[in-house]
Amino acid sequence: MALLQTEKLTKNFAALTAVDQVDLSVEAGTIHSLIGPNAAGKTTLFNLISGELEPSAGRVVFNGADITHLRPHRLPHLGLGRSFQRSSLFPNLTAFENIWVSAYSCAGLGIWSLFRRVRDLSDIRERVEQILEEVNLVHKAHDKAGALSHGQQRALEVGITLATSPTLLLLDEPTQGLSPEATQEMVGLIKRLGERYSILLIEHKMHIVFSISDRISVLHFGQLIAEGEPDEIQRNQLVQQAYLGGRK
Amino acid sequence: MNLNTHAGTRLFPQMTGLVIALVVLPVVMRPIIAADICVFAIAAMALNLIFGYTGMLSFGQATFFGVGAYVGGLLLIHVTQNLYLALLIGTCAGALTAAVVGYLCIQRVGIYFIMLTFAFNQLFYFIAFKWTTLTGGDDGLPGVPRPPVALASLEFTLDSSLKYYTFVAIAFFLLFYVMKRIVESPLGMICQSIRENPDRAAAVGYNVQLYRWVVFTIAGAFTGFAGVLYAMMYGIVPVEAIFWITSGDIVFMVLIGGIGNLYGPLVGAMVLRWLSETLSVMWNRWPLLSGLFFIIVVLFLRGGCVEILERLREAWGKLELRRKEASYGIAADREAD
Amino acid sequence: MFITLLAGALLNGIVTGMVYAMLGIGLSLILGLLNIPNFAQGVLYAIGGYFLFSIGQALFGFWVGVLIAPFGVAAVGGLIEYVGVRRLYGVHPDYILLLTFGLALVFTELMILIWGPVGITVFPPKLLTGGVNLGVTFYPKYRLAIMGLTIALVFGVWLFVEKTKYGAIIRAGIEDRDMVNALGINIHRVFTVTFAAGAGLAGLAGALIAPIQGLHPSMGIVILPFAFVVVVVGGLGSIPGAILGGLLVGVVQSVMTIIWTPGADIVVFAAMALVLLLRPQGLLGKR
Repeated sequence: MALLQTEKLTKNFAALTAVDQVDLSVEAGTIHSLIGPNAAGKTTLFNLISGELEPSAGRVVFNGADITHLRPHRLPHLGLGRSFQRSSLFPNLTAFENIWVSAYSCAGLGIWSLFRRVRDLSDIRERVEQILEEVNLVHKAHDKAGALSHGQQRALEVGITLATSPTLLLLDEPTQGLSPEATQEMVGLIKRLGERYSILLIEHKMHIVFSISDRISVLHFGQLIAEGEPDEIQRNQLVQQAYLGGRK
Repeated sequence: MNLNTHAGTRLFPQMTGLVIALVVLPVVMRPIIAADICVFAIAAMALNLIFGYTGMLSFGQATFFGVGAYVGGLLLIHVTQNLYLALLIGTCAGALTAAVVGYLCIQRVGIYFIMLTFAFNQLFYFIAFKWTTLTGGDDGLPGVPRPPVALASLEFTLDSSLKYYTFVAIAFFLLFYVMKRIVESPLGMICQSIRENPDRAAAVGYNVQLYRWVVFTIAGAFTGFAGVLYAMMYGIVPVEAIFWITSGDIVFMVLIGGIGNLYGPLVGAMVLRWLSETLSVMWNRWPLLSGLFFIIVVLFLRGGCVEILERLREAWGKLELRRKEASYGIAADREAD
Repeated sequence: MFITLLAGALLNGIVTGMVYAMLGIGLSLILGLLNIPNFAQGVLYAIGGYFLFSIGQALFGFWVGVLIAPFGVAAVGGLIEYVGVRRLYGVHPDYILLLTFGLALVFTELMILIWGPVGITVFPPKLLTGGVNLGVTFYPKYRLAIMGLTIALVFGVWLFVEKTKYGAIIRAGIEDRDMVNALGINIHRVFTVTFAAGAGLAGLAGALIAPIQGLHPSMGIVILPFAFVVVVVGGLGSIPGAILGGLLVGVVQSVMTIIWTPGADIVVFAAMALVLLLRPQGLLGKR
């Protein structure tokens, strides 16, 4: 059984069908990429899975449980973590605090821990330090998130998602706006993460997609037009047509 | 905005500073005014929790202040001479009212939230205003006694202003400590994340509405407690205690002191009352000046008085640096070469 | 007998309702376009009344006063926007609210300073003193005149906003401020003018109602919550909404006063809370 499975997932906005009966399945232990031309509905699909949007029809099943109508705050507790295309941080909190608050959420410390001091909760602090290392932000730990560079913010964005100890990571264009060097770093991070987490990745840069993905799904005008391994997708006519005049 | 998230490093000097301030206060001002400061500082701390830390601007805190004052006052007049009981029930009344009002208000955000708190404030105001048999209406509720405080086997009377101030100051100090613990706890961190980005806070697993409601209720409890103290302070509960201008005054204090800073509320209350005390003897229309000061803070000094102090400290630091440079005859940064 | 009372109450309700509506339209425009709950709207209303008193009663007579007062208040409003509000546009919206609150306090004090702390009576113009026999009741001429005037004015404002080019800019700005800016229209000037207009309407409302209610420095503080109810119930940014809201508030208040006096104001604010909870965009609002 797939880790994440959508069944005929659909979202209609008045006249526009943004997501059209999508059957997507993500196997555990894989890096699964979701690609498609602009406005194909990829982020909308993410929003349907993570509960930010209510589907018009269809189901989402995660780890055997129907999560279709769950509100966003329930999902991290079930093991689903999500990052955002436009960095969604806590700007006036430090990088450390950004990750801390995310780590505490699913740490399962119980209601009485709410009355303790933040600085006394060493388990959480250790986890935060681990993640800061993982995303290479240790030197910026005590800087405010709003003051970080774009690249550092994208890294923090991933760090916050990791902190809830998810089973499946939904990463929405983590390399968005990054310089070539920073992109390389991020790709390295995703590869490393791929060894421990299952990942559903939205990405536009094709060279990345083809180099790290185990499977690729292609979305076009809200419909799933192709799915398979990287070389299958590269040869696929429909996909090439969809990208006609388009991108490398 | 200066958001002193977890500056626990210089804890000791700051707490000592607080104690010193509380001890000195009745000396530089009339004790009853000093007590007034502490009472409103408690209400301001509560607003600071929901506004400074959680990002919810409530323009209706007078609702819970008034409810606490009326409930506490009525209990002390008709039912009991037990001070602790009156405080407890007044606090619970404030909390309960906040739980109900808060539940409704948090259904909306931003400006609608503000207007809902405002609307409920007015609702309660008019109920208090018209229910003259219970509250005395426009004439207020007179005759609230100050029963003695029982501690172990001792009993302390509160018949003088100074004695009452001591009681109120201790209460403030204890509540300050509670607020400090809240702010430095995971709950405080969660509140700040809600202020900063409620959508992300939800995305990492927090039931944002639940936390908002809990925090609003806690603030209502604090404010209700302050209300009971207020009732005993002057022996009367004026209907102004539940009027929207009082809600505004509390916002005033938090802003002047410095939003999102633990010491802000007390500083704000002190500044406001100091202004009123010193200015009122000089000029009857002193609220004009405090209003102008408020406007200046809003326009230019959004960190409030605490920010003024911080900037002074920074400026002092730079001054010190330049003095050292001058005395050594070198510029400090040239050493890097 | 009761019919007479009821008729009187209804008419009073319409009169105060239309005045509330004017106050509300001003507030609604500012709220709709600038997203600012203008806590100073009440004192601007009060200042309008005081200007009428000073210019009209003390100096040039009622008609001149009622003409000039609103423009005076509009000037104050424009100044507030230009000098104060404008600085705060990029900052958190709560700060603008706080600025207007501070201004409400400052202006109240200024009013006491200039005109004294005691209530002042303003007399209606000689032409409109006395009453008219309407059959079911005897009704003051001045109030009837106000009713007619405010209906005409409100209709005029509505026409302006709905049918003129400038009004279209305002409506567009309420819908999408950035787009208007992108179209090359000086949005800042629109803001200043809108704020001034909102203030002017408040001032006019205050001037017109002065002979009925008298003047008191606290009237700005007292009326403000009612202005908010009007806008919330009617719908932010909607002129017909403000008219409907104003009339509802005015009539409900007035009629409740003869049925169950204590309940009048309580019902009004309970209604405000109800609307905010069930239909936050108001009865006629769009967002």
